[in-house]
Amino acid sequence: MGRYIKYEIRGSYKFILGVLALVLILTTGIYAYISNAREGSALGATFTGLSVLVIFGTLLTTFLYIVNSFRKELYEDRGYLTFTLPLTGNQILGAKLIVAFMWFVLLGVVIAIYNGIMVLSFSPVKIKISELFSMLKNMNIPYRELVVFGLTAIIGGVSTLILIYFSMALSRVTFRNKKIGGFWFVIFLVLSGIVTYGQVKVIQLLPYYLDLNTFKIASSHMLSYGFNITINNGGLIMNGDLGGTILNIAGFIYSIVIGVLMFLGTGYLIENKIDL
Amino acid sequence: MKNIVEINSLTKNYFNKRALDNISLNIEEGKVVGILGPNGSGKTTLIKILTGLLRQTKGEVLIDGHQIGVYTKSIVSYLPDRNFLYNWMTIKDAFEFYKDFYTDFDEKKFEDLLDFMKLEKSMKITSLSKGMHEKLNLTLVLSRNAKLYILDEPIAGVDPVARDQILDAIINNYNENSSMLITTHLVRDMENIFEDVVFLKDGEIVLTGNAETLREEKGKQIDDIYKEIFGE
Repeated sequence: MGRYIKYEIRGSYKFILGVLALVLILTTGIYAYISNAREGSALGATFTGLSVLVIFGTLLTTFLYIVNSFRKELYEDRGYLTFTLPLTGNQILGAKLIVAFMWFVLLGVVIAIYNGIMVLSFSPVKIKISELFSMLKNMNIPYRELVVFGLTAIIGGVSTLILIYFSMALSRVTFRNKKIGGFWFVIFLVLSGIVTYGQVKVIQLLPYYLDLNTFKIASSHMLSYGFNITINNGGLIMNGDLGGTILNIAGFIYSIVIGVLMFLGTGYLIENKIDL
Repeated sequence: MKNIVEINSLTKNYFNKRALDNISLNIEEGKVVGILGPNGSGKTTLIKILTGLLRQTKGEVLIDGHQIGVYTKSIVSYLPDRNFLYNWMTIKDAFEFYKDFYTDFDEKKFEDLLDFMKLEKSMKITSLSKGMHEKLNLTLVLSRNAKLYILDEPIAGVDPVARDQILDAIINNYNENSSMLITTHLVRDMENIFEDVVFLKDGEIVLTGNAETLREEKGKQIDDIYKEIFGE
């Protein structure tokens, strides 16, 4: 699988570096404009909005590129090379997921660090880095919650990608015709609906939550019903009335199990069912 | 002699069309076998099943005693009838790719064949002509010391000079420990290579046997037998 990862990276790094270069140039331009704009001017607000759009656009473009590269394996001649390699379906799929994940982490980290540098460089008040660190120390950042928040976001992202791959593979198995290849999106929407419905049902049936501050398990009966959902992830993470963030245990396990099942299902389809 | 390929009652349907109809065929180790038939006779379907790109509707296929899977893919060197290499690659990338994935890849053989085909490692895949593509693909496929080579239409659509080079490369690089399965409808150019031939018509085997024996029995070249069968 390591060998396949190597060639997945070699096949996509130029695109990713191009996207990264573009986003860094745009970000620099935006920050330069903001720093020149007068305080509270409409121009400053516009460019802050643009900055968010650039980041969103970058991640969306990368996501579409990654999704399209899997579609190419199923519908274009390169599949003749990929699917005759002495690799299992799971190895091919696993390599593709690892590389996709790696690119997102790289893009996320580089963009975040670069934005930090830009804020420091263009800020009218000069902040020393040592002061910044001591400020962060005193801020009481809920690291534990951030880790779980990050973990659920990663699981959610990876699961969505697996669901897309599964939908594409299922569409390819069902319809050999390239012209109706876009049918995968309908399959994806239906499956997403079913998976989310299942998650909501699981959460309703097993309303036990892990309080991330105390690491104690609480049932919904012990909490008031006035939940404020912070992530709309089928009610997986909520702000309980006790103040801390709580995580539905069954819902969390459910999303992992669904992700694993979809992964194995896709691996099985591309190894045993797809006709090129 | 041991069979490298065993096909029993193989059927493949595409919706309402039957591409292969209950065919059975054994291919002995060390043989060069020609699968002959016009377009649409089922040649490529048969080959795609052997390489794991298609699944049979019914029947059993074994290569070296194994069902089609990771093991058979590791011992089969397959030349598809299209440009299957990734577009971002140079010839050097394709060479490294094959070296990484196939333990039977012979670097020396690759260098010699590349020289023979007059190709440069620095060339980009997307810049190659059809003939150059065909020569590169064949160079990669023949550089493996595979148990079974499967070549799908290796000389279709290339100019006569490239055709001769390709045929020479096949003859010079074939070794007796391997078997070779070649599909073609250009019988005259290739018939001297084949030890055994299989005539495929509308998904059925209509004639099979040793090429030399068939020539003697029918008093004709394989190309003429082909015309007799498919010219009706």
